[in-house]
Amino acid sequence: MTNAGHRITDAHECSQLNELKMDMTGLNMLAGWTTEGDTIMIEQMPIFGGYCGGVEETAICDVATTLASFALFSGNFHLDGPIHIRWGTTTNRESLQIAAHAAAAIDANTDLLLANQYYPMAGPCTEMCLLETAAQAINDTASGRELLSGSAAAKGVVQDKTTGMEARMMGKAALATAGMKVSDVNELLEKLVSGYEGNYNSAPAGKRFQECYDVKTVKPTAEYLQVYDGAVQKLRDLGLDIEN
Amino acid sequence: MAATRALTIPDVYERFVKGKKTDESEWDYTTIPQNATALKEKYHLNFGKKFIPEDKKEMNDLFNAGLEMLVTTGFYNVDLKKVMHLTEEEVWEGIRKTPTKLILGEGRDIARFYPRHGNSPVKPIIQGGPTGSPISEDVFVQVMQSYAQEGIIDDLVNGVMTTIEGHPAKTKTPYEIRATMAELRATKEARIRAGRPGLGV
Repeated sequence: MTNAGHRITDAHECSQLNELKMDMTGLNMLAGWTTEGDTIMIEQMPIFGGYCGGVEETAICDVATTLASFALFSGNFHLDGPIHIRWGTTTNRESLQIAAHAAAAIDANTDLLLANQYYPMAGPCTEMCLLETAAQAINDTASGRELLSGSAAAKGVVQDKTTGMEARMMGKAALATAGMKVSDVNELLEKLVSGYEGNYNSAPAGKRFQECYDVKTVKPTAEYLQVYDGAVQKLRDLGLDIEN
Repeated sequence: MAATRALTIPDVYERFVKGKKTDESEWDYTTIPQNATALKEKYHLNFGKKFIPEDKKEMNDLFNAGLEMLVTTGFYNVDLKKVMHLTEEEVWEGIRKTPTKLILGEGRDIARFYPRHGNSPVKPIIQGGPTGSPISEDVFVQVMQSYAQEGIIDDLVNGVMTTIEGHPAKTKTPYEIRATMAELRATKEARIRAGRPGLGV
């Protein structure tokens, strides 16, 4: 297996540390990858409510660390992921504001390739999880990002609680949003996020992959398809022209 | 003054070595919050309730605040406990040196990674996967296949295999790298089962 199984057109990931920090392990990996000509993705997830402070301060750090990925660490694209110190998600109102402002600011001034990653609160096979995922996909797409990466449902910390169905929603919501007027997108997001942000303390845990799919055939269950169709209908009711 | 060139990884290392020794807690609790707050005030940033900015001046102000944050604050190396600095010109040289077009994956399954700008009608690349979530060894292939088989997905991102041959894939043990290699093999198998062997990872 050449290149340890990773091709030159697969992305090698190196993470910065919070905030505006790096370690020698990261520099050593980057020294190897840059010599080899590998595709390099640098990750950084600024923490809202952490060392930076509020929404605007975190967005300033987000722009700074994104630029550092290219100016200091030879990244080819940057993977963002502003995360809420209390909720541990990227789909909350503040994280969406930070991500969108940082992306739009960099997008307006450079041709850099920008990505974002997904950590919804709710688990798979729940409408809330799909609506959270859609909200971030709408936000990322309309603010100019080039790549959406996810989704790590149930905050990415529970074993086997991610499936392809959440990524289907991420992609379909992005497809429906691309080209919309940003003012219309802002109105849509206000309604969408208001609909789930009161439920963080009682967010549904959802189901494991083994309960969401037939593991032998890798087909989603009828139950999950029904939940998915329900979420699609809610998004249509809010004004998103999304296909299922 | 014009930059001599974009910084390389060895350049960055040398600057860390020659940087000012600084206590990490001072960096975390004083330098970062003070500088971020000062720049928020200097550029009069207030996002209000809007999710996505619609005002070009606000976008430019935030960009300049972030650029200034990087140049005036520098970057901290947690192992050396030192701070390095770079100039604004060096930031721009780094940006200019960065490719603006990438190809992810190979063959008929490639994804073309180009700038979009604003809310372009072009869909972003959809990179599907567990994004580092813990995944059981016995269903790893199937979980990755559930993403690879979705037509809307252009590229994959791995989960983390929690065990390898029954052993916890703990960091700083031989099982860590064995599990990582198994993840790559399993993801390749998932791509093949989904009929998209060239998908990028």
